[in-house]
Amino acid sequence: MNRKLVVLLCLVLLGVLAVVPAFAQDPVEVPVWIAFTDANRLGWAQDRAAEFNAEFPQYNVSIQGYANYEELFAATALAAEQGSLPAIVQYFEVATQVARDSGYFKSIASALGDRTEVNGIPVNMEDFIGPVSAYYTLDGEFTSMPWNTSSAIWFSNMNILNAAGIDTPPATWAEIDTACAAIMALPEAPEYCWTFPNHGWFFEQWLAQQDAVFANNDNGRTERATEVAFNSDAGVAILNFLKEQHDKGYLYYSGAQGGDSWGTVDQAFGAQQVAMTAYSSSDTAVYTQTGVENGYDVLASFLPYNDATGWTGNLIGGASLWLTEGLPVEEEDGALSFLLFLANTDNAATWHQVTGYIAIRQSAVDALAGEGWFDENPNFRVASDQLAGSTVTPATSGALLGAFPQIRNVVTQAVDTVLLTADVDSAAVLNDAAAEANTILEEYNLLNAE
Amino acid sequence: MFAFLTDLTVLPLLISAVAAISGAALMFMTYRRLDGNPLVGIALGGIAGAAGSLLFMLPLNYCTFEADRTPADGLLGLVLIVIGVAIVVLPIRWIAARLLQHAPLAGDITSPGAFKSRLLPAVLLAPTLIILAAFLYYPSLETFRLSTLLARLDARRTAFICVDNFTRLLRDPSDGQSILTLIGITVVLIIAGIVLLRIVARFTDQPLPSAPRRAPTVWRYGVALIIGVVIYSLVFDTVSGFFSDDYGQSLLVTFGISIAIVVIGLSLSLLIATMAYQPITGAKIYRTLLIWPYAISPVVAGAIFLLLFNPSGGIINYFLQGTFGLSIPWLNNPSAAPWAIIIASVWKSLGFNILFYLAGLQNVPKDLIEAGAIDGANAFQRFRHVVIPMLSPITFFLIITNMTYAFFESFGTVDTLTNGGPLNSTSTLMYQIYEIGIQNSDLGKAAAQSIILFVMVIGLTVIQFRTADSRVTYGA
Repeated sequence: MNRKLVVLLCLVLLGVLAVVPAFAQDPVEVPVWIAFTDANRLGWAQDRAAEFNAEFPQYNVSIQGYANYEELFAATALAAEQGSLPAIVQYFEVATQVARDSGYFKSIASALGDRTEVNGIPVNMEDFIGPVSAYYTLDGEFTSMPWNTSSAIWFSNMNILNAAGIDTPPATWAEIDTACAAIMALPEAPEYCWTFPNHGWFFEQWLAQQDAVFANNDNGRTERATEVAFNSDAGVAILNFLKEQHDKGYLYYSGAQGGDSWGTVDQAFGAQQVAMTAYSSSDTAVYTQTGVENGYDVLASFLPYNDATGWTGNLIGGASLWLTEGLPVEEEDGALSFLLFLANTDNAATWHQVTGYIAIRQSAVDALAGEGWFDENPNFRVASDQLAGSTVTPATSGALLGAFPQIRNVVTQAVDTVLLTADVDSAAVLNDAAAEANTILEEYNLLNAE
Repeated sequence: MFAFLTDLTVLPLLISAVAAISGAALMFMTYRRLDGNPLVGIALGGIAGAAGSLLFMLPLNYCTFEADRTPADGLLGLVLIVIGVAIVVLPIRWIAARLLQHAPLAGDITSPGAFKSRLLPAVLLAPTLIILAAFLYYPSLETFRLSTLLARLDARRTAFICVDNFTRLLRDPSDGQSILTLIGITVVLIIAGIVLLRIVARFTDQPLPSAPRRAPTVWRYGVALIIGVVIYSLVFDTVSGFFSDDYGQSLLVTFGISIAIVVIGLSLSLLIATMAYQPITGAKIYRTLLIWPYAISPVVAGAIFLLLFNPSGGIINYFLQGTFGLSIPWLNNPSAAPWAIIIASVWKSLGFNILFYLAGLQNVPKDLIEAGAIDGANAFQRFRHVVIPMLSPITFFLIITNMTYAFFESFGTVDTLTNGGPLNSTSTLMYQIYEIGIQNSDLGKAAAQSIILFVMVIGLTVIQFRTADSRVTYGA
């Protein structure tokens, strides 16, 4: 009899436990997926989410980090297939076309309607700086919420450069070559002179600097891109320059491509294996700090350009936050509130300070300038200066095209082939890559174009 | 003259008729040989043959024979029809033959442990079968369907593209190789393979220890070397002549890495197992420690070796630099990177191999070794002629498991260590499927490649069973 009583009591207890949460006021879950795993960025975002949850107890924003954009992109595509998308997904800039075509997302403008505030957080869209709102305004509509915007810049280990008698970092490809000749002649020369992540973004940056488009139809901005155009003279010039630098022993190439390439560059620059590197402004804070900790001076400067064609401008990089289509009203409002909260003036300013991503609101830039932040930290102004100085052309606006992440892999593969093969014809390699990219694009358009 | 062949109303009937006739002929012969009613055989064979011809062609809707298709597509269509007929006719023939001979279809039903009823075993098997059907058989069928589609993870539409996902892996016949050359190479290769297998069989089937007319060792190894070189160059030529550059390279990379993993892994683990088997102090501790790497996942193994091989601060280069003054660019040199994968994978599977060899060594009868010692065989001869043959079932088992490991599981190591680079030198078939399907969201092409990998692994297992079974000693 005793045993029966115990079993009965357990069952009752279980029942109570199952029912109780149903009566409690459950906050609305707002899952967010982003492509960072480091304490600096994922940690920052999670801290903001905690603040948001404390301020708005009716919501529970939870942030999940993925290793890099490419992985998050694949995970999102799989989740969409299974109908289990989170409320907010961070998509990198090259996935913009794919995100548009997918139909999984709702534009921020249409979600806002004519509201000027959500849950008391003001919208104030006009405050976003020019290049940023331009990139994410598609068909005249604000589509996704900008968050982390960067540009490709150049970092120099000034201790090595000064030892070689160089005061200012190289501004052009020819100056890289001269600087490297001096650096590699040092008695205590580093193993290599410079490096870059073999990520499609850098090829795109060097292409844009020469005012050359990546794809047809004005980089896919006037009409859907149907063919790539990167196998131009400008593209060949990039490969030839990299090849020449590699063959001279100046350029260090780790063999890692795409999302994996960043880490190998961090190691090489941090270990002072190289004196200079091309990198994203996103890690200005980390790069400057690593230099301070290891006793060398890190100076950021504009990304060097091809002397023969001059400098037209650079493109933005980074990612934006997309709002999932078809969320329940409460969850959508929660997601919108969080997006606006994350992009408010204070958060835009501190996000810039802890990372090096551009301060995306004019009010945040003004506040930082007022505090004297840029005068004390000149490295942090390089990326926004570079973007501000850029002439806006189809080339420097950046390409919009389908299957861009996959086409990037084709480009990095071409760079890999050119660097690691002896006596190779860069133009032929690039033409093959363009043919492969065109097949991919054609197949993508066949399945996606109206 | 042959224009009617591309007419898609006549062709299906023609194909089915030919298939039915061949099926009928085959079954007729079987039935006549086994004294059955030849008419039943003809009827059964005819139906089976016709059904077999439809197995692949009905879902494909005879698209391989459309007028604007390449000869390679048509050839693949014919191959699919032959395979389809074989898949349907051969099992029926086997069942018919067993029935005609009054032989039981499955095992010995009267053995003491057998189930009395037919229901109970079915009920007991059901949970496993249902799970297999839901998570293995159904997805496999889906893979076949996907492989005929242009399907992207990032697109909501799909498009039927017949066998393009397969034929694009072949070399474009317009650049240098005509379809006839391809057929020629295939035929030559098949003949060469049969001849070589015969030669190998002649050399290896001889009872080794006491054969009086045994060929001198040097000569035998010389022949083996020549055969090896011929096979290698034939395989190399065929692969690069037959497949597109990317896929051909991936095939060679996969086979190269897999063979190295199996050969180096098994030799090394046999050596270590033999040493660990010696009665020394603390043998048990050594044995336990040696098995440890097995408990680590391939990804973790990759991560460990990523640190070891790291060009900026890796301990392996530090050691090489200090001892030999060498610095090997492990991860960005196309000739060094495959070795990084091989070393990491061998290390990873070492524990598993040693475990099995240790168990095997314990089962080698002591009296055989003693008898060898009394007959005057030295330690090496006893090892070579007694221990190795006695271990052959284990070696055979390990070859299969290691080959499967190298084909499928080394993927985790490749992904963490080299990502298929540099210059695709470590892009194995499995990694390429992941790259195409997941990273590049191209599901159709990935599905086609997984089917080819699947067929290859089946082929490999069959060949291994055929060639190795006769040489494996399962009893004393």
